[in-house]
Amino acid sequence: MSSTAPDRETFEAIEAYVLDRMPAEERAAFERRLAADPKLRAEMELERDQILAVELGGVRRVLAALGHEEPGRGGGRAPWSLLKYAAGIALLLAGTLWWFLRPSDNERLFAEHFTADPGLPVAMSATNDPVFADAMVSYKEGRYAKARAQWAPLLQREPQNDTLRYYTASTFLAEGDPEAAIPLLEPLATTDSTAFVHKARWYLFLAYVRTGAVDKAMALPVEKDPVRGERARSIKQRLGAR
Amino acid sequence: MPTTRPSGPATGDRLAGLRRNDPASLRALYTTHFPTVRHFVLANHGTANDASDVFQEAVTVLWLRAREGSLAPDTDPGAFLFSIARNKWLDVVRSAAHRRMTIVHDQRPAVATGEADDGIEERLARLRSIYDTLDDKCRTVLDRFYFERKDLATIARELGVEEDSIRTIKYRCMMKLRAYRDALRGEKDLRP
Repeated sequence: MSSTAPDRETFEAIEAYVLDRMPAEERAAFERRLAADPKLRAEMELERDQILAVELGGVRRVLAALGHEEPGRGGGRAPWSLLKYAAGIALLLAGTLWWFLRPSDNERLFAEHFTADPGLPVAMSATNDPVFADAMVSYKEGRYAKARAQWAPLLQREPQNDTLRYYTASTFLAEGDPEAAIPLLEPLATTDSTAFVHKARWYLFLAYVRTGAVDKAMALPVEKDPVRGERARSIKQRLGAR
Repeated sequence: MPTTRPSGPATGDRLAGLRRNDPASLRALYTTHFPTVRHFVLANHGTANDASDVFQEAVTVLWLRAREGSLAPDTDPGAFLFSIARNKWLDVVRSAAHRRMTIVHDQRPAVATGEADDGIEERLARLRSIYDTLDDKCRTVLDRFYFERKDLATIARELGVEEDSIRTIKYRCMMKLRAYRDALRGEKDLRP
């Protein structure tokens, strides 16, 4: 193919043809030119390819934006004008609410350091207990109440099962209910034989911080944690400095 | 498995919408079919980000097939997307790092996607590499004209410039892209 670039008029004629923006009569004439001119045909293929590349770029951009949204949140949107007013009112309400309900130091410390446990990798065919694995999938999807409901009968059968206790506690923490998580975590945090001891101790520590049980938090030997010890020490320093 | 019911276009219209880059159709495909893929990936050692990656790649395959006219008229977009995403994820799981993992087998019948035999992945990779050469200014104008299908006057108004400037920028950007591809082809031809 020749590397001579088409002039603007030819480029735009090809563009109108590719984008199907040519009147029928003109289109028929253009197709006759294409049939007779291999260079024009090659140029048309090239331009079509480039347009497709730009369109694919747009599709990927939209998909990436959708990927950042919560799935299932699609649907109608308020017109911009209404949104403006709604946003203004929401800001005012949020400001007032923040003033009355502004987080305590403990809540801020918790929020700074808490990230939900990511869950266990599961392959349902690889486990003897597909109910547990299915619940773990719910947990990783962020459907904490559902995961808890699925684990509840298993936990009832095996109340000392460390995995079930730990992840049930994790559902409560992820939902912002540390009070419910504490009784599940306390026995795990003092049992060195469980694989969850360090993680349980860390999350129990954060739960104590969040609920204002500072003495209990300070008493936990969480700074020995090989992964989170440094952060624990810094939190304890901040608690001790008050 | 239950899926979220979207408020966008109906299934039949979604493929037509996809052909004309309709964002509502893309959103409807996402909200309807992503949860199934996410469930499968999460059940097979993956994360929500992994699920997003394979799902988004699957949508681009569906989009290109729709644009090329190589989709069967009765294609079920959900089954198609699941099939592509599942194969992509299983490729990852079967890779060296994941070799010892066990796969959860899905009961869905295999859907003919034509994925393996006609080099669609190579075509997508080539199109992506073409787009990646564009600078921000060109992307802004070309995206709006070719992807969003806005007219020159609208783009000019949005960017606060004359309509003829947009027309010129568009032409120059497309010629830059063409020159880049010519240069690449030249390099290729020179290789022994």
